[in-house]
Amino acid sequence: MSNKFGVYICKGCGIGESIDCDQLVNVASEKRAPAVVHDCLCSADGVATIKKGVAEGINFISIVGCSKRVNSDIFQFENCMVDRVALRENVAWTISREKYPKKTENDDDYFVDNVQLAADDYIRMSLARLEKVKLPEPFQLPSISKKILVIGGGMTGMSSAIDAAKAGYEVTIVEKDGALGGYAAKMRKQMPVAEPYDSLIPPMVADKIKEVQAEKNITVKTNTVVARIAGQPGEFTVTLKKPGETNEFDVPYPLPDSMKVDENGKEYDAEKLLELYKEYNKGKNDVLTLDPNGELFGAVILAAGWRPDVIEGDAFKHLGVGDVDVVTNAQFEEIAAKGKIVRPSDGKEAKNVVFIQSPANGDDRDFNYAGSVTSMVALKQAKYVREDYEDGKAYVIYQHMRTPGLTEGFYKNMQQDSGIFLTKGEVTAVEKKGSGFVVSAKNTLLGESIGIKADMVVLAAGMVPATADDPVVNMAYRQGPAFRDNGIFDEYADSNFICFPYETQRTGIYAAGCVRRSMTIEESMEDATGAALKAIQCIDSVNRGVAVHPRSGDMTFPDFFFQRCTQCKRCTQECPFGALDDDEKGTPKPNPTRCRRCGTCMGACPERIIGFADYNIDSIGSMVKSIWVPSEDDYYNPPMRILCLYCENDAMPALEMAAMKKAQIDPQVRFIPVRCLGSVNTIWIKDALAQGMDGVFLLGCKHGDDYQCHFVKGSELANVRMSKIGDALASLALETERVAQFEAAIDDYDKIPGVINAFVEKVVAMGPNPFKGF
Amino acid sequence: MSNQYIIQPDLTFINEVVGLGGDTLKKCFQCATCSVACPIAPENSPFPRKEMIAASWGLKDKLVGSADIWLCHECGDCTALCPRGAKPGQTLSAIRSYAISEYSSSVPVVGKLSKMVTDPKKLALLTAIPAAWLALMAIITMFMGGVMEKIFHVIGLHWYHVTDAPIAQARFISTWLVDMTFVPVFNISLLIFAYTLYKMLSDMHANALAEGKTDKETLDYKAYFNTIPTVLKKVLKHTQFNECGENKNRGTAHMMVLFGFIGCLIVTTIGFGFLYVLGKPGPYSQWWPFKWLGNISGIAIVFGAVLMIKERLGKPDLNAYKDWYLLGLVLTLGATGLLTQMARLAGMEIATYAIYYIHLIAVFHLFAYLPFSKLAHAVYRLAAMTYAEYANRK
Repeated sequence: MSNKFGVYICKGCGIGESIDCDQLVNVASEKRAPAVVHDCLCSADGVATIKKGVAEGINFISIVGCSKRVNSDIFQFENCMVDRVALRENVAWTISREKYPKKTENDDDYFVDNVQLAADDYIRMSLARLEKVKLPEPFQLPSISKKILVIGGGMTGMSSAIDAAKAGYEVTIVEKDGALGGYAAKMRKQMPVAEPYDSLIPPMVADKIKEVQAEKNITVKTNTVVARIAGQPGEFTVTLKKPGETNEFDVPYPLPDSMKVDENGKEYDAEKLLELYKEYNKGKNDVLTLDPNGELFGAVILAAGWRPDVIEGDAFKHLGVGDVDVVTNAQFEEIAAKGKIVRPSDGKEAKNVVFIQSPANGDDRDFNYAGSVTSMVALKQAKYVREDYEDGKAYVIYQHMRTPGLTEGFYKNMQQDSGIFLTKGEVTAVEKKGSGFVVSAKNTLLGESIGIKADMVVLAAGMVPATADDPVVNMAYRQGPAFRDNGIFDEYADSNFICFPYETQRTGIYAAGCVRRSMTIEESMEDATGAALKAIQCIDSVNRGVAVHPRSGDMTFPDFFFQRCTQCKRCTQECPFGALDDDEKGTPKPNPTRCRRCGTCMGACPERIIGFADYNIDSIGSMVKSIWVPSEDDYYNPPMRILCLYCENDAMPALEMAAMKKAQIDPQVRFIPVRCLGSVNTIWIKDALAQGMDGVFLLGCKHGDDYQCHFVKGSELANVRMSKIGDALASLALETERVAQFEAAIDDYDKIPGVINAFVEKVVAMGPNPFKGF
Repeated sequence: MSNQYIIQPDLTFINEVVGLGGDTLKKCFQCATCSVACPIAPENSPFPRKEMIAASWGLKDKLVGSADIWLCHECGDCTALCPRGAKPGQTLSAIRSYAISEYSSSVPVVGKLSKMVTDPKKLALLTAIPAAWLALMAIITMFMGGVMEKIFHVIGLHWYHVTDAPIAQARFISTWLVDMTFVPVFNISLLIFAYTLYKMLSDMHANALAEGKTDKETLDYKAYFNTIPTVLKKVLKHTQFNECGENKNRGTAHMMVLFGFIGCLIVTTIGFGFLYVLGKPGPYSQWWPFKWLGNISGIAIVFGAVLMIKERLGKPDLNAYKDWYLLGLVLTLGATGLLTQMARLAGMEIATYAIYYIHLIAVFHLFAYLPFSKLAHAVYRLAAMTYAEYANRK
């Protein structure tokens, strides 16, 4: 079926006043595309006009008006490819007619109408793109498992399982210990979970276990861990085993960097590396070998929880660590769960207990992995002392007392107890006095250095996520069994804490509870629901053949032209989500349901063999080539042309906010949105410069440890590639400054126009590209 | 660490302060809004923020002996602005009550009265003692005049103070017996104050030294006493009271009562002189200027007391017994004093004596229980303010 084009031009929102729309119809006709001008396309009449065209067979539609970020629900037509041309944001609102007036009768043929030239270009770019894209067809797995695997049988895991089971999904819980319950089963009492949030309540864990056991959709496997999770969402092949067992399906590990080089520091060749890798993972099957006895799951919830931190070493010497009566909060909970609070050393009643929240090592930081939970645990355990002894006294010395939200009610009530004493302060020493201690603190609210007599001292140890010690998920992925770069999140399993809760860097595997951050039972249960919903969303999306996140509903997926693959492995290595597993030769095996459709592989591929149905090397390349670059043959003083490839996640909304505020942007710039800067292939930049454009810049997210990229690595990888393009430019005798990359956060709308205009000025000062006109 | 302060929280202290009206003290989270709001707190370690944490930590020794708790006039600015409802003003008031009973209960023999005065259940007993004693005095006066005259004759005095007025309180209870009751009681109270003030002064000085609130190394009693007139002037003018924002009108009421009492004290002294120096017994003519002063003072006391009671009724959360005891006593004193005179002038003999009887019981409460009740603040606050002035507390 051949595609039939149609161009619909909207005159609303100020477009008609600033742009000659009839001229745009002429531009479209150059490409033999029929064009219609309408006063307001998003009106019922406007949409009816387009639908009429669709009824007449038009299926590749260029809608010229506003950005694709608005009215996307209105401009949806079945089985049609829609391209939106943002004339409103990119031209009418940002290139003012006051500064760039229309051509008048007094002007000659060499008059430069900057506004019209920009509008003309955007029509050409749209039609060029439509020529190079296809209607996407969803990727369907041959068969799909809708079961959910929950790793961890604590409060979070059980809550997730119950929520998913109630939504109609079959769930299997694997728990490494002999019984369900996790840490919650070892507590005397727990923090409140409901209004008025003021008193301790009996642990809820026993009821939760009963609920799990009563749920017919839940299978519980205790004394079980994950040996490997292979495959992809919708068809994860999971091998389970007893803890400590070895299994031929134990997950293989990538070769450590230190083993990849010879004694001279030179990297071994591919053959030698493969040999070493096989040696390193002897007895384990390769990631591509599926366990024939493995169980199939659609999605995984990681609720592996935490372990209490161990506080030891010289840094904590002043806190008396090493003495058996100086315990952590976890050890104190154990004592409390057994009965009255007694001293470990002699079993005597501990009526005076000092709770130390911060080590006071020259700063005000709390112990590692501590948070609001450890603050509240101190209050809870202080209450234990008071419950056990009428004359008991519990002291809490803190640098931070965190009781967020409604838990303030809990703080207030604990504070009301006449035997609980709270003060901010720095603990300077814990010294043995008789059978007890004197705890010294300075800078307290009492206004001086104080000493407190104590029978016992409790340190607020943090909650170390299970992922800090072990991958736990054991994914049979070429990039390795664990989440990558968890180090920047203090080993918490999380890919972007604020924007995308529950998401990990692996599609289909969702983290909940204390592997994400330290949480109370109440928070964990709420988190569990979120992760269960994500797992369900994943299974449902895979079932429909669309992306889960963050391009939810995207039907496209990367397509590889394998005949030309050189097995360079760059796509496998650079994919931020480990979606590709190469084989022994290095040929990538795509796992489309692991993919997030960012296009980082497309940007990485030197052979340019990776693309999406509606977004590929040729579609963007053709857009670049369709931009008209005027030369001295056209004008006495030809305007420059500068290409901007900008990220549609953050930079695009920021620029559009700037447009709404009528910020002015230099008319010599042409904007092309990209899925992520990671998908930018350097060939586009070369294309632009080769056809005489004077500069190119990328506008994308902040990168580094506090990155803001939706796809984690995109802007960082773009930065690396841009640094390498410099050599190529130098060989063409072009200034490397003609190419740049700028970071933009979504709220930088007030700064971005300035950054862009400054770059344009710099390029103008450099003079025109010498390749112009060739 | 030589200057380390070893914390020894006193749970009983916390519970008692809570019982004395400081039930909100544990709500404090140390934001110090109170100290900023307070119009009279000194700049160097201002109250009541530090008092609030000391109280919630049960650090009795930091509070009871501190002059700062007495510098507070409970104007309520801090309580109004406290974001946690910890009511620092009321908490300090409760701590002051505790301090009064702590010092007065340390007095030998009569120290036990301290607990009774703050206990509503003991009110009946504390009233019954003077009621019985004064009834006995009335019986002696009315039925044993002859015997008494003989006894007085022996020591060269006259039992009867001759007057031709138809009704005279002296015919109900002899002035001799009234004075022989109240002069010793009053003097015992003064002795008790002397005892407790001596302790309190040295405590205040030790506390000020420990917390760096004074530039005086040793307490110089002479200089201290020389400071009293300066402070008295402030007290009479109600300088501190008038800096308050929240309870401005309470200053006026307090001033009326204070001046009323001072007026009555002057009138009583003059009456004492008339009787024992000039040998001229009452009742005196209404035209005499000191009678005017007496009447004005009585009216001032009644008005002031009514104003304070009215204000207090508007704040249902303030219901400490110590406060109501004092207000009730002040009103009773003023009202019965005036009513006795009115009944006498109206020629109602029985009513005159009955009201006078109640009046004397109230006076007994005033004098005998003075060092143990909230009224002791008159003495302690003056002492503490004088100390602050002397010690350069700024």
